[in-house]
Amino acid sequence: MTVSDGQGELKFGAGGKPITAKGESLWADAMRRLLRNKAAVVGGSIVILLFLAAIFAPVVAIKSFEEQVLKDQNTVPEWIISVFPSIEPYARINNDYPFGADYVGRDLFSRIVYGARISLSVALIGPIISMIIGVIYGSISGFFGGRVDNVMMRIVDILYAFPSLLFIILLMAFFRSTLTVIEEGTFAWYMAELDEALGGMFFIFVGIGLTAWQTMARLTRGQVLSVREKEFIEAAHTIGASNIRIMFKHILPNIMGPLIVAETLAIPGYISTEAFLSFIGLGVNPPTPSWGTLISDGSGVIRTYPSQAIFPALALAITMFAFNFLGDGLRDALDPRLRGTQ
Amino acid sequence: MRKLFVTLSLLIALSMVFAACAPQPAAEPETITVVETQIVEVEKVVEVEVEPEAPVGPKIARLGLLGPGDIPTLDPALASDTSSVQIIMETHPGLIRQHEETNAIDPGMAESWDVVNNDDGTATYTFNLRQDVPWVRYDGFEVVQVTDEEGNVRMVNANDFEYGIKRMLDPATASDYAYVSVFALAGSGPFNAGEVETADDVMVKAVDDFTLEITFNDAAVYNIAIAGMWIHSATPQWIIEERGDRWTEPGFHQGYGPYAVKEWVHDSYIVLTENPFWPGTDSIPKPKIQEVYLPFLDAIPAFAEYEAGNLDLAAVPLDDLDRVKADPVLSEELNINPVQCTYYYGFNTLKEHVSDVRVRRALSYAVDRQSLIDNVTKGGQEPAQWFSRPGLFGAPTAEKYPDLGIGYDPEAATAELQSYLDENGLTVADLDLTLMFNTSSGHQKIAEAIQQMWKDVLGVDVKLSNQEWKVYLVTIQEDAPQIWRLGWCSDYAHANNFIKEVFGSGGHEASATNIESEEMDAILAQAAMESDPDKAMELYAQAEQIMIYDIAEIIPIYFYTGVGVTKPYVDRTFGVGGQQYLEKWDITK
Amino acid sequence: MGRYIARRLLYMIAVLLVVSIITFGLMHAVPGGPFDKEKPLPEEILANLNAKYNLDAPLWKQYILYMYDVTIPQFSTQEPTSALADDALLIFNVGSVWVRWMNFGPSYASRSRTVNDIFRDQLPVSFQLGVMALLVGLLIGMPLGVLAGLKQNTIFDYFGMGIAIIGVSVPVIVAGPLLIWIFGVALKWLPPTGWGAKPPYLLGFLPETGLTWEFFKYAIMPSVALGTGTSAVIARLTRASLLQTTREDYIRTARSKGLSERVVIGRHALKNSLIPVVTILGPLFAALVTGTFVTELVFGIPGMGKYFVTSITNRDYPVIMGTILLYAIFLVVANLVVDLTYAFLDPRIRFD
Repeated sequence: MTVSDGQGELKFGAGGKPITAKGESLWADAMRRLLRNKAAVVGGSIVILLFLAAIFAPVVAIKSFEEQVLKDQNTVPEWIISVFPSIEPYARINNDYPFGADYVGRDLFSRIVYGARISLSVALIGPIISMIIGVIYGSISGFFGGRVDNVMMRIVDILYAFPSLLFIILLMAFFRSTLTVIEEGTFAWYMAELDEALGGMFFIFVGIGLTAWQTMARLTRGQVLSVREKEFIEAAHTIGASNIRIMFKHILPNIMGPLIVAETLAIPGYISTEAFLSFIGLGVNPPTPSWGTLISDGSGVIRTYPSQAIFPALALAITMFAFNFLGDGLRDALDPRLRGTQ
Repeated sequence: MRKLFVTLSLLIALSMVFAACAPQPAAEPETITVVETQIVEVEKVVEVEVEPEAPVGPKIARLGLLGPGDIPTLDPALASDTSSVQIIMETHPGLIRQHEETNAIDPGMAESWDVVNNDDGTATYTFNLRQDVPWVRYDGFEVVQVTDEEGNVRMVNANDFEYGIKRMLDPATASDYAYVSVFALAGSGPFNAGEVETADDVMVKAVDDFTLEITFNDAAVYNIAIAGMWIHSATPQWIIEERGDRWTEPGFHQGYGPYAVKEWVHDSYIVLTENPFWPGTDSIPKPKIQEVYLPFLDAIPAFAEYEAGNLDLAAVPLDDLDRVKADPVLSEELNINPVQCTYYYGFNTLKEHVSDVRVRRALSYAVDRQSLIDNVTKGGQEPAQWFSRPGLFGAPTAEKYPDLGIGYDPEAATAELQSYLDENGLTVADLDLTLMFNTSSGHQKIAEAIQQMWKDVLGVDVKLSNQEWKVYLVTIQEDAPQIWRLGWCSDYAHANNFIKEVFGSGGHEASATNIESEEMDAILAQAAMESDPDKAMELYAQAEQIMIYDIAEIIPIYFYTGVGVTKPYVDRTFGVGGQQYLEKWDITK
Repeated sequence: MGRYIARRLLYMIAVLLVVSIITFGLMHAVPGGPFDKEKPLPEEILANLNAKYNLDAPLWKQYILYMYDVTIPQFSTQEPTSALADDALLIFNVGSVWVRWMNFGPSYASRSRTVNDIFRDQLPVSFQLGVMALLVGLLIGMPLGVLAGLKQNTIFDYFGMGIAIIGVSVPVIVAGPLLIWIFGVALKWLPPTGWGAKPPYLLGFLPETGLTWEFFKYAIMPSVALGTGTSAVIARLTRASLLQTTREDYIRTARSKGLSERVVIGRHALKNSLIPVVTILGPLFAALVTGTFVTELVFGIPGMGKYFVTSITNRDYPVIMGTILLYAIFLVVANLVVDLTYAFLDPRIRFD
């Protein structure tokens, strides 16, 4: 369930360009403000670090994430016992593993690092799908208004009333199962093959994207509606600019700010949806790790080996923190009301 | 009480003193002795032994025996899962009762029975029923006997059994387990299939009020076990006709066994209460525990409740085993006992590579079952080298047949695989194999471990895939993948229920493996008639050898165990068939 | 206003209709049926079962039959029996005429219960839990959000947002067992599992034994585990909304008029910043009430949440339809209530 944070209005001077101080462009100004926001900087750095860790995972995580060393299962290094003293009576010590090993002896640390890949791809692709569909849909709806707008928004309302999680479950049950039943060459078959190639992630992306675009559509529509009435748009009309040109060259660039911010703030929701799907068994195929599968695997042993659930949960929490503060910072940076120049 | 004793003793002391003070006879006048009598009050402290009064109040057991989610049904004709059958065992006992630990056949509702083997190959069993068991129900306050319109108590009789069996077979009832009956009971097939309108041809007859006659298709040894299954229990016709499918709801539910249903809060818990009208037999005694509270909880919350002291029994989640074994208190309460189920991987012999028996054997040899049990499942399970679980009648045991079937043998594995590869000019990398299982973290762990074993021993990369349960079942039947996972639990305690019913010709998974053996079927047909336990075991051992080695139809992996903790004050037995006989338990607090 | 409500209700019916058609189609498109079992049923039994539940009829016919049962009230002069086919969500009599309305059908998984029974028994529990979780969310979220909004970019802001984020990022599967461990097993202050009320419920949703400690002690841990997630959403929204409101012109006017900061914030800013929060209360409540699968599993609560997931895995078609329609109804009604509340909060909003 995504939430819209409100719509900002941009102030424009004559000529259609937003007023900024010292003649900077909108984006440079925003960047400057962003960098002054300490929390956003911390958040942004964490996000960058995460991306680097995910991309360079084989370098960061020395041990393999999928190799099982059964005799090392559930072992922990010394320092974890000092953090969780209750496991001392039965825990076996092995300092080779930075965070310990999981139930079949795989290195937890490297599984968390590789798991970042899944979570970050969800964080990237979910918003991309959601924005592409949502922005286009919302722009059309808002720009043309009237009947078109009414019908399009009603459709969105109907889809909104449909519980998205159920939809994802049904979708996945349908596509996953038809691997043996669909005929080759059909559209459904290609989708299923793509899913396999992506290690089972495709449908999560599709599911998340398909259910999240509605909020983005609503948001875009609202923004377009408020910008549409502005004088410079009227001016553009008068000059004879085509609708498409107006939409892409004038309206969209000026509303992207709040949209990007809203989407960034929705990212933690995507990540936790993936975690939940993995928990109920509709996520990636083993042995690919995702934070969701790690948390669900760890939740079973949480009393006995708490580290196996706590560390992935911490990773999840830190990531969501980071995106949250980054998103807040972006919003504050792009919102001209906070500039104090007007 | 005390006061009386003290008074009495005082009186006695006093009288003794008085007696002592009785006036002396006249003495000789030489000396005048003055006898001074002193009354000494002796306070006697008498230790009074007061008998401790017997504890007042009912014994209540709180048991985490049932899994999460509601019990699907309490109707004997419809029950197909262990939770339902557990309750039904207590409320509607069958004709015979199989001992929970030895599987020996004991009398149940039938006190005795005779067997006549007819000339046409069928066998007729005549059961003499107990006459002292009334129908009971819980009326909101206590357990009362059920009466008919005239006020007479309804006793359980042969008509109730005949009604129960025929109703179960009725296609309109749509009973899941009717197929077992159809396979064994003479004349039941056409009725259940809807080919004939009435149940008149079904060979189950109430000869008189307390004599029931059942005819079976073959003179098989397991007929009596099948006769005692819950689906053949007596059901109350009058309430079923009045309430339909709702008759099992609290308020309408009627039974006759040692326990009655007191309360059933859907999705929450069920409470059984002692049936005072149950006469108590040797095999099904009167219960010692008055009330049994059974919540429906998932394993992890149930164990938390046990640790908090709110449950007297719970299963141990396998992930917590390490901690339980290391804990001084919990490790004492831990019990691991056999359960009649087998975990296995089957092959679809029509698919590439696994169509060759050497590949199948290689994969089977490469599984280190003991390591899996020690490191992954950790529940003290027993490695399975064949399919029919030891403990069932006729099933081979490890003591008598240590080398039967296929066990862990990496050299044999590589030899078999190499032979296949050489003959076809392939390398290990050419082997494209998939293992599928239904989505569950437990199956995933086992699959991941075995996937690694295949890689280590054979160098084969097997892909793992999982499907949601219902979809998985359809996939297995219609187009099973090369390797697929399933388990099988016993319906009745005879090896026939395992190897013949599942993998014999026309068996449940025959269309998933697509392979048969006439030789094996012949041996199984013969074994069904063999009543001598050793000879039966010999025959089943031969059949297993064919199935596991000669045609390598499946990879048997392990035999299930139940891992649980029980408080020391619960005096209990351990059922192997998945059901516990609560009427034999006691609480000694 | 009346016309507005009427229009919204009509529109709600349209939404439900479309949702029901999509769900019906989708659930029948997924392979596997309710009667596919581990021990496969013989053909004849399968045929019997399918016939019994009309599953062998063409899809459109099944759909019509289902919608008929749900929407059209049945009248009769005889008192309805307790048979399954006679069951409905609403059964009452007007004089000598008995009305049965909204029959959601039988459950395939449980032979002695209908979907109506499931609603009657399990929905009140989810409702109670949902209300309490929402209260927890509001009690934690709003103060945190206000604090963070008023003191933007200070330590209070980070702290408040920090707590909120922790609440939403520690999933219930981790928080739940931890809470149970600490408060249920180790300290034994609260019962680890279970729920403090059981059917029948007063007025359909209140516990018969009353709102006593016996009832609440079961609800504390699950409400907190659930509520911390919603508190994060509420906190962040309140903060963002407050930030925006305090920058509005009218606030500047109020300040320049000389009003104390407390009056400015309390009387003017807060009320208007509530609007976005109220907006999401609708969907939030709908999601909470229709239950959450994991919370109920972890705490052993007999609510609706598990039916959402298990009905799909069991292919229990009537339960799937029932739960999804329920969710849609709740959502639409909640949104309507929210929209009506707008009018009280912001007189600028008109209904056209």
